[in-house]
Amino acid sequence: MKNKDAFIRLSDVSYRFGERAVINQLSLSLDKGVSYALIGQSGIGKSTLLQLLAGFISPDSGSIYINDKKLIKPRVKTGFLFQELGLFPWQTAFDSIKMPLQMHTSVQKESLKSSVFKWLKELQIEDCHERYPHELSGGQKQRVALARTLITEPDFLLMDEPTTAIDAMTKESIQALILAQHKKQQTTMLFVTHDIEEAVYLGEVILIMREGGKITRIPNPLFGIENNRETLAFYQACIDVRKHINLEMELDEVFTHNK
Amino acid sequence: MKYLRTISNNQLFIGFLTTLLAWQVIYFLIDTHTIPAPMETLIYLYTMKLPVLLHVLASMSRVLVAVGIALIIGVPIGIFAGINHLFNQFFSPFLYYIYPIPKVAFLPVLMLLYGLGNQSKVILIIFIIVFQIILSVRDGVRQIPSSYFTVMDSFASSTLSKYRYLIIPAISPHIFSGLRISIGISLATLFFAENYATTYGIGYYILSAWTKMDYIEMFSGIVALSFLGILMFKAIDLLEAKTTPWNKKPF
Ligand SMILES: Nc1ncnc2c1ncn2[C@@H]1O[C@H](COP(=O)(O)OP(=O)(O)OP(=O)(O)O)[C@@H](O)[C@H]1O
Ligand SMILES: [Mg+2]
Repeated sequence: MKNKDAFIRLSDVSYRFGERAVINQLSLSLDKGVSYALIGQSGIGKSTLLQLLAGFISPDSGSIYINDKKLIKPRVKTGFLFQELGLFPWQTAFDSIKMPLQMHTSVQKESLKSSVFKWLKELQIEDCHERYPHELSGGQKQRVALARTLITEPDFLLMDEPTTAIDAMTKESIQALILAQHKKQQTTMLFVTHDIEEAVYLGEVILIMREGGKITRIPNPLFGIENNRETLAFYQACIDVRKHINLEMELDEVFTHNK
Repeated sequence: MKYLRTISNNQLFIGFLTTLLAWQVIYFLIDTHTIPAPMETLIYLYTMKLPVLLHVLASMSRVLVAVGIALIIGVPIGIFAGINHLFNQFFSPFLYYIYPIPKVAFLPVLMLLYGLGNQSKVILIIFIIVFQIILSVRDGVRQIPSSYFTVMDSFASSTLSKYRYLIIPAISPHIFSGLRISIGISLATLFFAENYATTYGIGYYILSAWTKMDYIEMFSGIVALSFLGILMFKAIDLLEAKTTPWNKKPF
């Protein structure tokens, strides 16, 4: 926990909604290039933690450091994938993906275009480049939003329930895409999920969040083994994580009952 | 067959026919010399096409200049009212007081301040439509989901980028609907504004025919005015389809 070389460092961070401290004096460090899965009960504060890390909201006390720089406002190099995606109805897939790049660089029109097409191809949505969001399927929208987030090559990627809103088949292909991109870019990644399988498939370290934002880490030795979804060991790992979570929940209950 | 379908798909043409039909029916039912026969009126309009065209052009330029200036004034104020809650808190009650006032009543004041010429007429039209544009734009800005602003934050966007990629595109459909209402009101206002100190303008043409009790001439002016309206609405439709292609709607 007291890792000095950590890429992301939270020290004594608190955030409250009214009287309730959703995050209470949380200290946490995340290593560079590692993928973290964040699991926890609904309403426990996962999205709040993500918003703090993105710089959308500021801690009431304590500080967040990214790359040893104190976070005060959203960084260009932090990518955020929203659960509702947030694609603008007036932007075609091409325009959506182009926007972040166009905003922050002064590159020529032609090289902008080729970067966008590189990502369209990478996420297998080339055919959709002229379509508006209402002309795209759920999975295609997800890919457009992912490309829009990845095109600026973020060194820190936050995703709030990236696959909750899509069907099971599409879900697996999106997960595979995310995993492939993570391996390729070595991005530090923190994603929220309610799906233990997803946590075990995509997360190198699984973080369980409890009341007040307390976090327990579980390493995931299975992470990154090719096609690990087809092994019994994978499901054994899921079961282990599930047991771990239930144990943590019980701890929480004992804790709150003793209060 | 194909030809028939093209005609029946043309809403403008259908509208024209239904209007003529209704007019003809009324003409038969109310047998009075104040309502001329549609055919007679159209033929009259055709023979008078050049002078009427000049009147129409004079009115159209007044409306275009007024709409242009009202946009330049109204859009920034509307955006500001939509974004800045404090400003809106003071501004909205003021707007709601001003909005329902019949602004034509201020024409004498405007004529006193800006003379009898074009200036007071254009300013009157601006005065009438600018509030419509401010309201449309303000509501457009307020309807932008706050999550869209968070998306822009997530890209660490500058204020300028927020306008370019989010606010301007989001309000453009609202600007167009504000424009449609504004142009309708402006045209209706002409009838009053062109009553004074001018000899050109379709409003003047209609009124002078009225005072002469020349009802064929008066109705030909009304037909010309509605043609002008259709022309301007069509132009707006085209402009809207070009600039907001994501917002497709039939006709
Ligand atoms: N704007 C707000 N005002 C007041 N309370 C809020 C606000 N946003 C969130 N909360 C509260 O803060 C707590 C944490 O919310 P958060 O969205 O972080 O939960 P979460 O862990 O992401 O839940 P879920 O899994 O359902 O998405 C919740 O109890 C919620 O009711
Ligand atoms: Mg949440």
